[in-house]
Amino acid sequence: MNLDLPRSPSAILLTLLAAAALSPEVATTQATDSARIAQLERQMEAVSRELERMRLGQEVIVADSSVQGLGPAASRVYRAEQGVSLAGYGEVLYENYAAQAEDGVTSGPVDRFDALRAILYVGYKFNDRLLFNSEIEVEHADEIFLEFAYIDYQVADAWGIRAGLLLAPLGLVNELHEPTVWLGSERSLTESRIIPTTWRENGIGVFGGTDAVSWRVYVMNSLDAAGFNGAGLRGGRQKGSRALAEDLGVAARFDYVGTPGLIVGASAYAGETAHGRTDTSGQEIGGRTVIWEGHFDYKWRGWDLRALVAGATVQDVAELNQLNSLTGAAGIGSEMLGWYGQVGYDVLRASGSTHQLLPYVRHERIDTQRETATGFAANPANDARATLLGFAWKPVPQVVAKIDYQLHSNAANTGVDQFNFQLGWLF
Amino acid sequence: MRRAPLVLLLMVTVAAPATAVSQTLTQDEALALAFPGAQVERATAYLGDAELERARSLAGDDVSIESTVVSYYVARRAGETLGVAYFDVHRVRTLPEVLMVVVGPDREIRRLETIVFREPPEYRAPDGWLRLFQSRTLTPGLSLKGDIPNMTGATLTSGAVTQAVRRVLALHEVIDPLKTPES
Repeated sequence: MNLDLPRSPSAILLTLLAAAALSPEVATTQATDSARIAQLERQMEAVSRELERMRLGQEVIVADSSVQGLGPAASRVYRAEQGVSLAGYGEVLYENYAAQAEDGVTSGPVDRFDALRAILYVGYKFNDRLLFNSEIEVEHADEIFLEFAYIDYQVADAWGIRAGLLLAPLGLVNELHEPTVWLGSERSLTESRIIPTTWRENGIGVFGGTDAVSWRVYVMNSLDAAGFNGAGLRGGRQKGSRALAEDLGVAARFDYVGTPGLIVGASAYAGETAHGRTDTSGQEIGGRTVIWEGHFDYKWRGWDLRALVAGATVQDVAELNQLNSLTGAAGIGSEMLGWYGQVGYDVLRASGSTHQLLPYVRHERIDTQRETATGFAANPANDARATLLGFAWKPVPQVVAKIDYQLHSNAANTGVDQFNFQLGWLF
Repeated sequence: MRRAPLVLLLMVTVAAPATAVSQTLTQDEALALAFPGAQVERATAYLGDAELERARSLAGDDVSIESTVVSYYVARRAGETLGVAYFDVHRVRTLPEVLMVVVGPDREIRRLETIVFREPPEYRAPDGWLRLFQSRTLTPGLSLKGDIPNMTGATLTSGAVTQAVRRVLALHEVIDPLKTPES
């Protein structure tokens, strides 16, 4: 038998009131008007309580009681609603390159329109202490990656344990890489070549914080120096796929978050990266790599300000170059340095519009071969500068369209300017 | 030697004692937190079409108000009205959050408490950010374009909480639960 039951709170309210009014008991009662009014008031109170319970959820309304012999606080762990959390983000990027490089020679890069990223976030909350987080990414429309997948165990209010495929906690973009969060149609060079965003490795760590500070310390499988080259460390990411783990690295981060809108902090990573490989004499190579950075992010009254400086050192570079068959100016830099500063402002802030329109400018310098091994030269093209001028339009906070022009130059005079358009979303 | 950091970390984590974590508060707990020792009376307002429209207009274009049945809790101690608490439920990303919003007799925000937050904890609004709403009234400055800064990495929470506060203040203005009854 199908019962056509009302589903909306208002329909339930009306149905219950109608039922009460038509009830034979009510119809036949000899109660006075005041008694009937009192009865209706009680019924309305009961219905409104039921509505509130439906809206807020059972565990908010029910008075606390112990479960399985535990105290009230601990018992709530077992009563908390469990379930799946689903979300996602993505970006489409159009890149149009100048026909000529800064030295006037034909530039070379081909214009591209790329479905750069589409990510599905899936989480599952087992209870108030234990949850699973993951991102499954489709890159360039036909490559699939597991971007992160980890279990969090919240040991106490102030700290917890995290294990699985983790995002290295370095820089401003690596952990917060959704396109609506940062300005610019492309990530900065510093947070691509020195901090190899999006950088994720398998590991275990602890995380925590208070109202004023936030911190994380992870032990992860190390970068693989077999992917390093003169342009930086990006190729060293193992991305969690059958990762070599002969060498482990430590990544740590500390932020001050005590002023709303402001994040100031620093992070670092250290680990050997040769994973037991040997040089021609049979000696094991270390390849210790240290990456450090300091960052600043401030959002206030329409302003969006951001700055970051990052550096890296790599040991045993001559041996690693030999291992990677890198010669001349193609060798890995033993020292790298990059920084950028960025300013944006919402010009619609005072207009009353719910849209945001942020013109922005970013200036950046990077040198991935600031120092090289004896016998190796630096490629002047790796000593680069970039200036972005553009604007971002957000009709709602979860959708952004960005247009910018990038002025590129380098010490070899081979920089190629480009015009970009990016469409990004987050839900 | 290369595994020393991992061994140290495992020792720390295995030895870690489990203590209380931020969890779901019940309504009674939240009200007791906001109004210790006070007498709290529950009431419900039923909005007509005109009242609903007025509330929407006061809250602003980006704030949705759908329900015409609004429950609230008036707290009094020794004959003095301390404030009115509302429980607002809204979606952050895909999952709901329940906030307790306490409005003082002067129509200013007295307290904001996260009662339920189902999204991952890193998206939860920290207490320091929630305190920014203290003593605020329903003005244009009460927005992410105004005096409330967006939280980097938790923009959806920033928006959801700010909209919830505007919604509650608009409903409070329309319901006017502390008005003196007409004689």
